Amino acid sequence: MEIGPIWRAMLRNKTSYLLIALQIAFTMAIMVNAIAIIQERSRMMARPSGVDEDNIFYLSSIGFAPDFNPRAAIEQDLDALRKFPGVANAIVTNTVPLQGGGWSQGLRREPGDDKENIGVAVYFVDEQGIDTFGVNLTGGRNFTPTEILWFDSEGGGPRWPDKTILTQAMAEALFPESPQDVVGKTVYIENDLPVTVIGIIERMQAAWKSWSKVENAMLVPMKRLESAVRYVIRTQPGYRDEVMPQVEKMLAESNTGRIIRSMKTMTETRQRSYLEDSAMIKLLIFVVSILTAITGLGIVGLASFSVARRSKQIGTRRALGATRTAILRYFMLENFIISSVGVIAGAIIAVGLNIWMVQAFDLTPIAWYVIPLAMLVLWLVGQLAVFGPAHRATMVSPAVATRAV
Amino acid sequence: MLSMKNVSKIYRTESIETHALREFSFSVNEGDFISVTGPSGSGKTTFLNIAGLLEEFSNGVYELDGQNVTNLSDAQRSRLRNEKIGFIFQSFNLIPELDVFDNVDVPLRYRGFKAAERRKRIERVIDMIGLGSRAHHLPSQLSGGQQQRVAIARALAGEPRFLLADEPTGNLDSQMAESVMQLLEEINRAGTTIIMVTHEKNLAKRARRNIFMHDGRVGSNEPGLHLAAASA
Ligand SMILES: Nc1ncnc2c1ncn2[C@@H]1O[C@H](COP(=O)(O)OP(=O)(O)OP(=O)(O)O)[C@@H](O)[C@H]1O
Ligand SMILES: [Mg+2]
Repeated sequence: MEIGPIWRAMLRNKTSYLLIALQIAFTMAIMVNAIAIIQERSRMMARPSGVDEDNIFYLSSIGFAPDFNPRAAIEQDLDALRKFPGVANAIVTNTVPLQGGGWSQGLRREPGDDKENIGVAVYFVDEQGIDTFGVNLTGGRNFTPTEILWFDSEGGGPRWPDKTILTQAMAEALFPESPQDVVGKTVYIENDLPVTVIGIIERMQAAWKSWSKVENAMLVPMKRLESAVRYVIRTQPGYRDEVMPQVEKMLAESNTGRIIRSMKTMTETRQRSYLEDSAMIKLLIFVVSILTAITGLGIVGLASFSVARRSKQIGTRRALGATRTAILRYFMLENFIISSVGVIAGAIIAVGLNIWMVQAFDLTPIAWYVIPLAMLVLWLVGQLAVFGPAHRATMVSPAVATRAV
Repeated sequence: MLSMKNVSKIYRTESIETHALREFSFSVNEGDFISVTGPSGSGKTTFLNIAGLLEEFSNGVYELDGQNVTNLSDAQRSRLRNEKIGFIFQSFNLIPELDVFDNVDVPLRYRGFKAAERRKRIERVIDMIGLGSRAHHLPSQLSGGQQQRVAIARALAGEPRFLLADEPTGNLDSQMAESVMQLLEEINRAGTTIIMVTHEKNLAKRARRNIFMHDGRVGSNEPGLHLAAASA
């Protein structure tokens, strides 16, 4: 209602107001882009791996004795693990999602190295793989025990089994025109080895969280005969922490020709995998909070100074009929105007900065609502910051008009 | 229409109590022009501030325009100041960031007048003080006399019943003081009641009545001050 004269008065005293507006603008620009980064990282962290993370742990068994027999050890271990109280299921495999290290291959729709090759993460499993990982079979069928091959890297035998189960994402990548109709199709591995798709699982991430095709994965019905292997164990819900040390002890004691190493839960694996991202999020929240606090304090400072400097003017306004409320409103409104200039400039800078960041760092553009949200936050911060000094202004006595020199 | 009975004002600081007004009784009639004189510290500004509802008093009864103002809330006092009283200060008290037009506008906005009404009133009073061509000058671009005229215009724009002036010519040279005095006389002739504190005897005696204050009390007339109106 009295915006006109407040605005004109501010224009005659630009510099300090402009500095605060600029500070608000930069805070807003940084806030908006920090939120964009936080949102992107959070989205990434929130992606499900597809496996039953709460109940899975895994460990490595490394045989060292000269007479260590890999096949006998695996058979004996799997048998013992699957019978172990509290254990739901167990398999020998090469890696787990989010682990960081894995096996990658390429699949083609047609044989030949001139044909398009689509990257895929490989999980070696047996017929218990789907159950152990807790992934969801949505099409086709599981492997049967007789379909599981033993692969000996030193001996001969087939290099790849002729059956596979793909994730839905991999099926879509291979057959974008008929992703619902992939079971039964033949694809090619290592240029020209045919493999038939017998099943589809809903989702299972590769071991590399930053890979752009992280949901491209395949289950291969094969156990590899190596002296160092990894067991993945799913426990009954709620028994994981109890079962882990028992399993470790049982395995270590059952075969003294090997050692048990690197036992970890999926929960830990997820945390380690996203350590940098959650640190980044915390850092950004910290920086934005500090910046906002500094801006708030700047507003408190400017407003306090301006109330002190204008105490005679405030007294005069009171003498001329301003109520305390009118004085409060004056300073709140003045701050609202500064904040508005700041957040509007801030919105422009924020969008500019975001366009640049999207190009430079391959970020997803900010969601539209982040801008009005940040504006609202900074408006509120401004109004909160100015309230103290504005309230002090209402306490200036009208007698100041005649008493102050 | 303005009457004080046994009004006292005591300022208390940690070390001393100052009796700025002692059982002060006084009344003003409609259309009066009263000059207030007295030595420094005698309570002139205190009296004016209480009369103008800028300060509260310790004891006594004060009626303004027939209304007992003793127990009014702060907001009610603000409203009364805005509607019934115009202030003129020794150091003008114009708002430095606002031009002449906006300065005169200040009390009118608190009054809640519509824009057209405010404009009409502002233009009328600015013309009256002869600064129509300077409506968009800042106070710093005006002489002291001109600034005080703007302050008078601001005080008059709301058409108050009372004009309270605390040494309105105290910061002006004699020529500018004279023109301000003439303006006040003109305003009084048009019907506005004026109470003016001044140190200058030759201005004080141009009022219709004089009250001489001493140590927080009223004397009748300042010794040796012969009112022009009385002798005429
Ligand atoms: N806020 C205050 N706190 C304490 N004492 C005050 C305050 N204001 C005024 N006084 C004291 O009250 C007395 C009356 O002051 P007042 O300002 O009314 O005098 P005055 O007649 O206007 O003087 P002058 O001619 O110098 O303006 C003085 O003794 C003064 O020191
Ligand atoms: Mg005084």
